[in-house]
Amino acid sequence: MSLSHFIAQWQLPEQGRYLYATLVVLGASVLILGLAPVLQSLPPRGRRALIVTVTFLAGLFFAAEFFLPIDWTAVFPKDDPTRNFLTPAIQPAQNVLQIIGALALGLGTYGLVRLHLRNVVQKRTQWGYSVVLLVAFVTMATFSILNTLSEKQLVTKTPLLETVFSILFDYTLVQLDAAMFSLIAFYIFSAAYRAFRIRSVEASILMFTAMVVMIGVVPLGAYISYTVLGLPQGPAPENADWWTRFLHSAGLPTIAHWILTALNAPAQRAIEFGVGIGGLAMAIRLWLSLERGVT
Amino acid sequence: MTYQHAQDNWFAAIVIGFITLVVLVNILRAKLGAQLYIRRIPGLDAIDEAIGRSTELGRPVTMIPGLTTFGVVAVQALTIFKYITQQIARFATPMRLLTGDATVFAVAQEAIYDAYNEAGRPDLYDADSIRFLSDRQFAFASGVAGLIQRERVAASFMFGEFFAESLIFAETGNMVGAIQIAGTTSFTQVPFFVAACDYTIIGDEFYATSAYLSREPVLLGSLVGQDIAKLLFALTAVSGAIISTIAGVDSPIIKLLGQPGGWDAFMQWLQGGGR
Repeated sequence: MSLSHFIAQWQLPEQGRYLYATLVVLGASVLILGLAPVLQSLPPRGRRALIVTVTFLAGLFFAAEFFLPIDWTAVFPKDDPTRNFLTPAIQPAQNVLQIIGALALGLGTYGLVRLHLRNVVQKRTQWGYSVVLLVAFVTMATFSILNTLSEKQLVTKTPLLETVFSILFDYTLVQLDAAMFSLIAFYIFSAAYRAFRIRSVEASILMFTAMVVMIGVVPLGAYISYTVLGLPQGPAPENADWWTRFLHSAGLPTIAHWILTALNAPAQRAIEFGVGIGGLAMAIRLWLSLERGVT
Repeated sequence: MTYQHAQDNWFAAIVIGFITLVVLVNILRAKLGAQLYIRRIPGLDAIDEAIGRSTELGRPVTMIPGLTTFGVVAVQALTIFKYITQQIARFATPMRLLTGDATVFAVAQEAIYDAYNEAGRPDLYDADSIRFLSDRQFAFASGVAGLIQRERVAASFMFGEFFAESLIFAETGNMVGAIQIAGTTSFTQVPFFVAACDYTIIGDEFYATSAYLSREPVLLGSLVGQDIAKLLFALTAVSGAIISTIAGVDSPIIKLLGQPGGWDAFMQWLQGGGR
């Protein structure tokens, strides 16, 4: 059996996948919970050495998977030529990350509930909000779990359960989300008002450009340019003089499009390049444990 | 599921290798004592001013990494928050770190505890100051906005990855008169922060922050390496524009610069004597 076939077995099998998933979760929990006392018992230097080694090996796995050639059929004739022998292990590695995330979610929820329980017990300032949070938390969790279990046909889906879950989720949570989202429209207006106040040359250019783009991308821009001002629409004929060419490109929609594609897009791409390189440099520092911030 | 590999276009892999080399060489240079220069970033100079104002008013400082999931962005954001906490610890100013990601929450607790310890004030550490609110975008946004309003925060630091909720944080902070400094890698949110915050750290300045604040040789060297890599990207973009204008967008050199399978097309072109 080749190494690639051995690693491929790590992927979730269809048969008995619930048992497999439970075992993976339990195994990861035992590993993580078991690691904590081991790490605590080590001296600081030993702890750091262990973390540095694990970080380096984990990073090396992903780097090797990316850099190694994908076609290994010369060595392993039965292999898939579109991926190398490390590729099948990517998904299980990501599953482990998800499990760690799920464990952390439990930790976060515990912290949240503990804080609000303390607020209520000690009757701290505005403890009423904490009561609301705890009641909402317990109610939503109870009905969400029951609903999930009923979807898996592990409990009976009663009309009461269906109605209460619908009220809590569809008619409360989703609507509250929508309300928060719609607030952004008003915030955009107030923030834009402050940003566009003409206080400097830069603010004036910003305001003028924003006005052209805003009017240019809505039907009003086309109406002003082509109906009110009577500018010609579409590209200029090939042998047209410079004045005709100018008139064809002077409409607000054309100018707005030019600002978005010739000025805005390159600036955004430049920022993206910088962010990408910064992220890569940071990843290298973390991989080689050169970063001393929070690690 | 398909994954990207170096073999898709070896040129991209060579570029990644080159950037890595440049970053590592400059880290080594900095460690050997080379004097490296970083330009001034006003937003970062204002951090101490914002902390001072919070201390004078006796109102809390909020630190928000947004919905950032745990990764390089979160580590960078927490490094900045750790520095801010070390400054806060000197004046015993109250702080709140509010996150929407449970993994970031767990790491943040340790980072903030370390920051108070390193500042010599472990007694000031309060585990309840670091809060996981919700991983649901607008539930998190309403939680943050509510806390900013109720506690009338004096300074708000937003560093990390933000989405539509960015403006809710920034405008709420503005309403209570907080000094606001934001830095994000999400370029779609930059205009909102520029409009609503006092200082905004844009794009890769976010990754320069820890080097700027700590002046550690490793970070300074890495930053200089990043700048050289950016120069390489700029040269590639300009060369690409010139070559595509002269030779057309189907030229093997253009394919090499940016298309999957471009390496093979380029090698065939070279083997054919450039025809």
